[in-house]
Amino acid sequence: MLLRASGEKNGLDVDLEVAMDATRDGDAGVPDGVELLAFASAANHRSAELAGARDRLRLAVGDEGVLEAAATVAIFNGLVRVADGTGIQLDPSMLTGTAEDRDRLGIEQFAGAANSAGAPTEARHEASGVSALFA
Amino acid sequence: MEPRSPAERIAGAVAVAADSLVGPGDWLDGAQRRRAWVEARDARTNELDNARRQAISPNAVAGGHEGNDELAAAAMEVVHRVASDPGRLSRSWADSMIEVLGDAVYTELVGITATAAALDMFAWATSGADLEIGAAVAGKAAQVRPDDVGDIGAWVPQTIGGVRANVSRSLSLVPATNIAWIGLVDALYSRGADFVDLSWTRALSRPQVELVAARTTAELECFY
Repeated sequence: MLLRASGEKNGLDVDLEVAMDATRDGDAGVPDGVELLAFASAANHRSAELAGARDRLRLAVGDEGVLEAAATVAIFNGLVRVADGTGIQLDPSMLTGTAEDRDRLGIEQFAGAANSAGAPTEARHEASGVSALFA
Repeated sequence: MEPRSPAERIAGAVAVAADSLVGPGDWLDGAQRRRAWVEARDARTNELDNARRQAISPNAVAGGHEGNDELAAAAMEVVHRVASDPGRLSRSWADSMIEVLGDAVYTELVGITATAAALDMFAWATSGADLEIGAAVAGKAAQVRPDDVGDIGAWVPQTIGGVRANVSRSLSLVPATNIAWIGLVDALYSRGADFVDLSWTRALSRPQVELVAARTTAELECFY
């Protein structure tokens, strides 16, 4: 959801299917997307390709860019375990706002979808911008 | 004082989180938390975890993890399952673990495992090596259960009321574990008020960061 929203905010036509599916080629409509996705997948799979992917990413985005990419892969490895381990539901506005994408991208097939079956769909408070995505 | 660089902020938060995993926590002591980190790391190559991962259902594989001097068998199960196959956890499985461990210890183990996963992945992604796990620090667990937690539809009680996103209060039942976790999230990703800025100016743009996040959550089959 934040990928789509930030892409729109920055004038990008983001391809969510390429972003989420490692069998698809391409940059997903994001600058340096090929290098970023290769690095993320190599790290997540603890692949022997990681060092090469890191070098190619460094050429594209620099040392600090690599650091940020590594930090992002790392924290989302933690965030998914917190979310799935505690069985949280999608926030109401996210539940209603991403239904089409979840269905199209096969996310509804993930086991964690069961946690949000019957979850509240009415926004809990007034909000705008990013905050509205979690209202 | 000069504002700290992103690298310094991250290094500081990583050090704080690593220390928190070997010191006393909410209900577990330093030796127990340290053992949980070791077990979370072991889950990458553990034979039983690999067999479960490859099975059509993790429940199709017989056997379980044995307890040891630091962690009961149920605690070992929580750490290994959350570490190795988080996308296929279920409420019935969590309920069975909570029945044995209690909801607070269960939540603390989830938090330790998640923090360990983030720390170990950061070390691997930046250097290809593991972070060194320090010695356990003696001390008594805080043993504080917050008053403001309740049922918000998750498997464990969490902060009720307010306007916080569900993911941001996931570990609110275990404040000591949560503090280190939130500090790590802030340094590695959200950076305080920056979180609501979809056009931030960092080494990576917001869409670039979210692209990496989207690929990672998809590969771990996370619904949230």
